[in-house]
Amino acid sequence: MASFEETGPRTPVVEPTRVDKVHPRAKLGKSFRVILTLIVTFIMIIPVLVMIMTAFKSRADIVTPPPKVLFHPTLEGFLYLFTDRSLFSPSNLEAARANPGNLDYWQKLALSVGQKINGPSDYVGRLKNSVIIAGTSTILSVILGLFAAYAFSRFKIAGKDDLLFFILSTRMLPGVVVTIPLFLLYKQLGWNDTHIGMIILYTVFNLSFSVWLLKGFIDEIPIEYEEAALVDGYTRLQAFFKIVLPQAVNGIAATTVFCLIFAWNEYAFALMLTSQKARTAPPSIATMLGSGGLEWSAIAAGSLGFLIPVAIVTFVLRDYLLRGVTFGAVRK
Amino acid sequence: MSASESQFSGPNLKVRQRHLSNRAIVNLFIWPTLILLIAMNVFPLFYSLYLGFTNYSAIAGKAPVWVAFQNFSRILNDKNLWTYFATTGRYALMSVSLQVLVGFGLAMLVREKFKGGGILTTLILIPMMISPVVVGLFWKLMYNPTFGFFDPLIGFANPSKAPDWLASRFAGQPVPGLALLAVVIVDVWMWAPFVMLLVLSGLKAIPDYLYEAAAVDRASSWFQFWRITLPQVAPLLLIAVLFRTIEAFKSFDLVMGMTGGGPGVQTELISVDLYRIAFLGQFRTGYGSALAYIILIIIIAISNLYIKYLNQSKGEG
Amino acid sequence: MSTIELRQVEKKFGDLHAVKPLDLTIQDGEFIVLLGPSGCGKTTTLRMISGLETVSGGTIWLNGRNVTWLHPSARDIAFVFQFYALYPHLTVWRNIAFPLQAQGESRETVDKRVTEVAQLLRIEHLLGAHPGQLSGGDQQRVALARALVRRPAAFLMDEPLGALDADFRESMRSEIKRLHVLQHATTVYVTHDQIEAMAMGDRIVVMSEAAIQQIGTPSDVYNDPSNLFVARFIGSPGMNLVPGKYADRVVQMAGLDNRYAVPQGWHTALNKGLDGGSDIVVGFRPEAAQINDRGSLVGKVYASEMQGSSAVLHLTINENEIIHIRTDRLIPYPIDTLIHFDINPQMVRFFNPKTEAAIKPEVAQ
Repeated sequence: MASFEETGPRTPVVEPTRVDKVHPRAKLGKSFRVILTLIVTFIMIIPVLVMIMTAFKSRADIVTPPPKVLFHPTLEGFLYLFTDRSLFSPSNLEAARANPGNLDYWQKLALSVGQKINGPSDYVGRLKNSVIIAGTSTILSVILGLFAAYAFSRFKIAGKDDLLFFILSTRMLPGVVVTIPLFLLYKQLGWNDTHIGMIILYTVFNLSFSVWLLKGFIDEIPIEYEEAALVDGYTRLQAFFKIVLPQAVNGIAATTVFCLIFAWNEYAFALMLTSQKARTAPPSIATMLGSGGLEWSAIAAGSLGFLIPVAIVTFVLRDYLLRGVTFGAVRK
Repeated sequence: MSASESQFSGPNLKVRQRHLSNRAIVNLFIWPTLILLIAMNVFPLFYSLYLGFTNYSAIAGKAPVWVAFQNFSRILNDKNLWTYFATTGRYALMSVSLQVLVGFGLAMLVREKFKGGGILTTLILIPMMISPVVVGLFWKLMYNPTFGFFDPLIGFANPSKAPDWLASRFAGQPVPGLALLAVVIVDVWMWAPFVMLLVLSGLKAIPDYLYEAAAVDRASSWFQFWRITLPQVAPLLLIAVLFRTIEAFKSFDLVMGMTGGGPGVQTELISVDLYRIAFLGQFRTGYGSALAYIILIIIIAISNLYIKYLNQSKGEG
Repeated sequence: MSTIELRQVEKKFGDLHAVKPLDLTIQDGEFIVLLGPSGCGKTTTLRMISGLETVSGGTIWLNGRNVTWLHPSARDIAFVFQFYALYPHLTVWRNIAFPLQAQGESRETVDKRVTEVAQLLRIEHLLGAHPGQLSGGDQQRVALARALVRRPAAFLMDEPLGALDADFRESMRSEIKRLHVLQHATTVYVTHDQIEAMAMGDRIVVMSEAAIQQIGTPSDVYNDPSNLFVARFIGSPGMNLVPGKYADRVVQMAGLDNRYAVPQGWHTALNKGLDGGSDIVVGFRPEAAQINDRGSLVGKVYASEMQGSSAVLHLTINENEIIHIRTDRLIPYPIDTLIHFDINPQMVRFFNPKTEAAIKPEVAQ
């Protein structure tokens, strides 16, 4: 048989590429690589898939060995997660089953496992806390970060590098180190377990990140635009709002989303500094108890609330991800 | 130029007198940030340094009493703490080296573009964005000895003869280190994509012509990997190692979500223990602060080592 | 030592031809320059010879061996890149040693050959430095050293001087030429700079729009361009090309009353070359114009340019056409002066504007 070196490929190559890249061996290698990537990716997301499946399994399906891949989907997990329920006594249960009356979907679902819905669970309140705290703190840290980033990007500031390093280093501190004194400080101020306390804490937590990331984005906007505006008689502030902000929109959006995810995911501070009133979702999801141990279907259902936003964000921000996870230190 | 003319020569020229000076703008723009950071980071840092020299307890309701170096000397003489430090070190070493290996492998896999490759890369990146405590819960479910997926997936069909990872038992017998390995596996699962992302960016920055030059210079793929790819990616790999090592010493959420330090103290990382000392039970605030400072010093030392090395390798390049 | 032969080699990107099927034979030890504007396919052609680019059709022969589908490393060629392509993390010594070490040569051989080639290029003092610390010229010397150290069958150079400053360029130009004379190695050299091509090439291959326009010695392509493109592209300024109508041994140029009597020896050639049409293009180099008060052609000074050893006058000869003529640098010509001139009959050329091809005279000039 004639070898590739003698006859070349069967069809003409009409894209820019090296000779060895169209060699059958290289093509075989590529197919192998693609298949391997598919397999590895699948393995990587198995835990995610398991969690998604678990969220739609019934309590019985979850705890029966061996683990089931095929099952009858149900929303039980969401019922356990979002509602506070109590057991019917056997006699009441039969009465209720005999005469269901006008029950909505969730009430029927509860009835089918012998329970009655009393109202929303604590988790609903904690989700609300999470939304308020993560949302407000993100807005604050992006706004403050934007101003600081602009100043650091455009002006001569004495000891600029040291200041920037200081800002970065605050993020490198182990959370527990600052938590002890903050706990005491908050105790003095009466801020433990309050929204305001958590909002300020998360604002600062994200601030160093947003300054660094936004500075990177602003550095990329050519200074000539502003200089032209200044020459045309705009003030610095006008130039900032009318020239820089519109051009930094992508960077601001990316920073916002990163801050939001960080605040939404945060666990350690919330665990140590909140207990009831301002407790957020992450510490409470870990302690979701049912009868006889962890309530897995509820935990899995709650996890979706962390998984779905993250999946969307990862997809939308894939081009900015590298900057995000390295504080803008590595860009491309 | 007359005043009336000046109005036409640009927007708002007439308010020039009311312009903020650059100095004022700088102050206005950076001080809120600096003040917040100082109040919430620098102040606590000094405060906890002070507390580290006292016997204060946040719940005792007594004023702190100065005990000089008592806390520090007690920490340095506490065998348990040394064990936790060692555990943390082992954990860091195992996680970081595995992450580098797996992450590098992943990056080499998805390096060259193919159809659908972008989506696969994005899917691989998802774990590092999930809240660590949720990841811990995911894996607690995966590792469950009776109804978890992990054992059947790696080939242990019979639960009674399978490892119970988080309890550090294998077929009913205790196997110390299994739980720590389980945590390492999860950390690698979560953060190998981070290493991949960094390596990928390093790989992308290698200009094609270097490989072209190597091809005409008759270098084999193996030779190209060792002489071009690896040295070119090394600085970014170093950044990845630095980030991950620091994180390993701060690691808290993941372990809390999975084992809470158990079984026994097998996965008791130093940050977890610090939380226990400072917040659970006795609230030994002063002692905790001293320990926190020791952790901080270790982290700073590691960072400096890396940064020094990083600058050195940059200077050569 | 080797020959390179391209047979009907072409490259398509999708439906677009980057290089139309071309034939080219390069002799052993020859210095061939591929010359053309950017996007003409010259670099693609070079890269196809090296194997850094696949062909879409045709075959490439190196020393009588069909190498069309061989890996670049199996072709025994060296490639010098426009931006040097030095390995930035390796020292100069290790850069030069790279091709030898890749072949697993012994430490002594590597040492010896690197030292030799470093002496040849006078870069011994740079061996410990990193490429980033060197000037562009030195980097290119290192790149040349890396190519030379292997003693390959052929050198392929892709605009090696393109990234250098003007003064570096000239010295490197002579250096490469000197190396070629010393080594007598077959070299294919790509450039868009026609002065470089003239100075270095044994033969020049002029390319445009993915096809070869002319292959010839520097004097061939300068004196006898095969078509309008080559005439315009070679020379600075290029050949003057004035359209006109040919009838009765006279070319009537457009606009002003410029009648040019065609010299002896061209008449039958023009009749044949024009295919019965009357549209013609008269071509002459700036130095072919001879200023002469009784000259039959006339133009008005539009601008004049000092070029050092000579001056170039820009003349309008009608509303659309500006021609350039070389003059004595000592005589000033004020703007709008009328200048009369003749064309050296040995140096006039004619083109058919429809086919753009040059018309060949019936007897050798």
